[in-house]
Amino acid sequence: MKFSYQWLCELTPGLSTDPKTLQRLITMKTAECEGIEPFGAHFTQVVAARVIGVEPTAKGKNKLVQIDVGSGKRATVLCGAPNLREGMLAPWVPPGTSLEGKTIGRAVMDGVESEGMLASAAELGINRDHSGLLELFDVQPGQPLSALVPDWIIEIDNKSLTHRPDLWGHVGMAREVAVITGLRLFDPVKINVLPHCGDPAVHVEIANHDLCPRYSALVLENISIEPSPLWLQARLESIGLNAINNIVDVTNFALAELPQPMHAFDADKLQGNTIYVRTAHPGEILRALNDETYELTTADLVIADAAGPIALAGVIGGADSAISETTRRVVLESANFQATSVRQTSARHKLRTDASMRFEKSLDPENTLRGLARALEIVHQVSPGVTVRGSVTDNFAPLKQQQPVALPMSFVVGKLGKEISQQQVVEILDALGFQARETAPGLLTVTIPTWRATKDIGIKDDLVEEIGRIIGYDEITPAPPLVASIPPYQSPMRQYLRTVRTRLVNQGFTEVYNYSFVAEADMRRFGRGPEQHIAVRNPIASEQTHLRRSLLPGIYRTIVNNVRHYSEFRIFEIGNEIHPDASPNLPDEIPHAVAALYGAHADERDFFELKRVLECVLPDARVAASASRSHEHPVRAAEVHWRGSVVGRIFELQPSLLADEGIKGRAVLFDIDLRLAQQLSAAAQEVTYTPVRKYPTSGFDLSVVTALEKPVAQIQDDLVNFAGPELAAIEFIRQYDGSPLDAGQKSVSYHLEIGALDHTLTSEEGEDIRSRIIEGMRSIGYEFRG
Amino acid sequence: MLEQKLEELRRATLAAFAEAISLEQLEEARIGALGRKGTLAQISKEFAKLPPAEKAALGKLLNSVKQDLESDYLNKKQRFEEADLAERLAKEWIDVTLPAPGIRPGSLHPITQLQQEIEDLFTSLGFAILDGPEVETEEHNFDALNIPPAHPARDMQDTFWLSNGHLLRTHTSPVQVRGMRQLGPPLRMIAPGRVFRNEEVDASHEHTFYQLEGMMVDREVSVANLIFFMKTLLSSIFKRDITVRLRPGYFPFVEPGFELDIRCLICGGSGCAVCKHSGWVELLPCGLVHPNVLRDSNIDPEEWGGFAFGLGLTRLAMMRYGIDDIRQLQGGDLRFLTQF
Repeated sequence: MKFSYQWLCELTPGLSTDPKTLQRLITMKTAECEGIEPFGAHFTQVVAARVIGVEPTAKGKNKLVQIDVGSGKRATVLCGAPNLREGMLAPWVPPGTSLEGKTIGRAVMDGVESEGMLASAAELGINRDHSGLLELFDVQPGQPLSALVPDWIIEIDNKSLTHRPDLWGHVGMAREVAVITGLRLFDPVKINVLPHCGDPAVHVEIANHDLCPRYSALVLENISIEPSPLWLQARLESIGLNAINNIVDVTNFALAELPQPMHAFDADKLQGNTIYVRTAHPGEILRALNDETYELTTADLVIADAAGPIALAGVIGGADSAISETTRRVVLESANFQATSVRQTSARHKLRTDASMRFEKSLDPENTLRGLARALEIVHQVSPGVTVRGSVTDNFAPLKQQQPVALPMSFVVGKLGKEISQQQVVEILDALGFQARETAPGLLTVTIPTWRATKDIGIKDDLVEEIGRIIGYDEITPAPPLVASIPPYQSPMRQYLRTVRTRLVNQGFTEVYNYSFVAEADMRRFGRGPEQHIAVRNPIASEQTHLRRSLLPGIYRTIVNNVRHYSEFRIFEIGNEIHPDASPNLPDEIPHAVAALYGAHADERDFFELKRVLECVLPDARVAASASRSHEHPVRAAEVHWRGSVVGRIFELQPSLLADEGIKGRAVLFDIDLRLAQQLSAAAQEVTYTPVRKYPTSGFDLSVVTALEKPVAQIQDDLVNFAGPELAAIEFIRQYDGSPLDAGQKSVSYHLEIGALDHTLTSEEGEDIRSRIIEGMRSIGYEFRG
Repeated sequence: MLEQKLEELRRATLAAFAEAISLEQLEEARIGALGRKGTLAQISKEFAKLPPAEKAALGKLLNSVKQDLESDYLNKKQRFEEADLAERLAKEWIDVTLPAPGIRPGSLHPITQLQQEIEDLFTSLGFAILDGPEVETEEHNFDALNIPPAHPARDMQDTFWLSNGHLLRTHTSPVQVRGMRQLGPPLRMIAPGRVFRNEEVDASHEHTFYQLEGMMVDREVSVANLIFFMKTLLSSIFKRDITVRLRPGYFPFVEPGFELDIRCLICGGSGCAVCKHSGWVELLPCGLVHPNVLRDSNIDPEEWGGFAFGLGLTRLAMMRYGIDDIRQLQGGDLRFLTQF
């Protein structure tokens, strides 16, 4: 939202704060300024000039123009404007003037020097008319352009005005400026300019006052449509509104000042004498002022005449009833529409206008008559011949009265954390338009002004903000709160995630973050279809259409993307798998850790390296071969068992998945369900100390011969089982297959340490235990070597 | 006579020790003088034959010579041994600059690092760290935060809507709601996490980013308390004294609501490109918890009050590390990630 500093000055008589300081004050006390820009700095230099001679130049379409610039001085300029003619008056920009950041000099074109330039209205920033020179009337050469003054435009972030309907117009902002600078607001509205007697010239029927709390209208006659005076055009242009004509510009003036969006219908193009405010009938369409045609729904509120919709209420007018050069009579609409309805219609038709932006903030219904009064005054000012027909139409339901708010002083002081006097509170509130009076000691009863009552202010907390911001938050001294010092709740899951992260980093893994989205191709690569995923209804990209239910596709992408730069690397991600739930409940989000080890020359040793890492993350985890999945190496895939549960998988990535991307290396991954792992971790008993052995142990090696595919973990379990309580330690030494063993056989060697807790084993005892193990193992089919 | 012999022995042996250039020569000299059949042994035999009166006088000399020689021998021997050791070890020279084998620690994602640091800080201040789901209900994400349907504030946050009728949370604020409902007042909590906005990705915009929500609910919580916590927090994060200022900001779930600015860390407030010559950098939204939000989570706003703030972890990480392209954070590029 753009604000004209000059406009604010007019509404705040006596304002002497410079624009830069003012924008800083507004930022600190009201709403965020995004910057200030000068507007029309050249207005002080531009003067009227009369064209007294036009000659062709040797080449080009430019003409050599002699002009009278007043005080008996003449100048020569080059000009190619189509409306250039002898005798006309046009603005002259003298050399040295800065225009749009460029200094106008004595340009030499076509071999001729031009002393400054004659300008179009667009070049001067008055409107957007580039078609020719701005023709001036009723002015003498050498005179400045009347009523055009240089200005500063203060731009306020719209987001910071979301809750402040009143600040969408200059009066609202001027009220803030007045309070901030200690001045008084000048209210430009003279309500008594509205006609009091006679019948209204137009009738209004409102079907639903919830959607249209108030509709006021006035009929004007004797209109002749022409451009507005330059000051009005420039003022609208300066804040980004487009100057159109002497009627439409007035409605936009009221919009930007009060703020009251208004609309002017060509009264002679309306069917009947009644305006209907109703929801659209199915199938109705509206051709709008922007030349688009809108198919309306029964949720759209329209303004209609006897024939059908003539405007989309609060959003845009219709083309068929629009003001044109032939317009002689207008119906001036000044209405109030329900914010939600306007916002939904605006969103449904993807059409945001200056009017809809304001209505969706919940405008003050009291403003409809003020809008008509102000517009009428300006119309009379810019188009003196216009007359009013009949009296004002004003259709409204009894307006909801905002109850006064009880505001204890103790509440203000407690919330701000600053001592402040009741008198100061009353002064601030009154200056902002509230009425605060003491109804009991220390208790204020505060009446809310209508322009703040629609949505913005309703409770005492809102008033604390009003007081706090005007005092200035810088005036509040930081203070620690007085609260009990209690150890906070600590989420066991969070602590566990930290542990896992630390362990992986210590093993050389770098953490990556991938998106929570997955593409269909990527999910299929990992064996799942879209029906197993939650879909995004409004995805931002074609490869981000679903929510991931596995971290693997993301990690796969990360591997592929890093292979170009590294021949080997270790990465991991901790993130949520999102599992759809058939019920209306939220999906199940399960934290997982996926670690990947990639090597351009990786082989089976890397599988065991990752298995080692797995055992660092989940101490004493065991893996058991498992049928492989489509994305896993067919014979290098296993379940991860930990504390009695399967908590995940460890596998080599199906090499063809990498080969598809032209990658020759191999990757080994594990994927752990951290929710399950954390539960198992939390369920573990505290460690209970076992006394260290007092008596020496003795050791011996055993080489077990068995079938090649017998899992080593099974052999070890069997040895441990037969060794019994005397086993102090068992260590795998090596496994061997080949000559002299039979084909399909292997020999697995272990070192065992045995001992008793209460004495040193004799050599006989030791031999007995060894025999017991060997015999036991033989009894279940093992053989021994050496 | 014996006296002369002893003196001669001392002189000659010390000379021999001094001349020895190896442990072997030293040993040879020792055996010649101090060995079982050495000169001193012979002198001792003669000494034994002396009458007691002479023995008393000469005994001292004998002992002194013996001690001198033995001590000198041990000294010399130690020196030879030390030299030997030094020579042997000198041959064991290695180039210590050769690369060491084995893996190095990896690294945590920069956001994780920053997040953990801030979590630790808040834990020390008595705040619980809570989690919420990435997929949220409309109720948690909007309604319970005083953003009813059709509220213009919903336009401020472009939302990803899901096939199950839920949405991807647009901020970490729904965890406020979960925290209040789960733990009840009094309450001090933060909630870091991943949030989503439906917007096009470029160097300064991401649809996936990270926030850290904070909230305190207690009997009496004031703007002065909020400023205190923000100043403490930010001074700790930036590891220097931070000047903060509050100015009005609109967020439906707080009243009053603020934008918090910090004095520009680059120019110190005098104005530079980073702060757009204002001397201040907008950092985070905050405010006192709106009574509707408390009420929606079954907390009586007449009894309790609170403050809340939302810290942009992504933005903070970018400021701290000077990251100029937000896409790096989700890009998985190890050339980027291994720098942290």
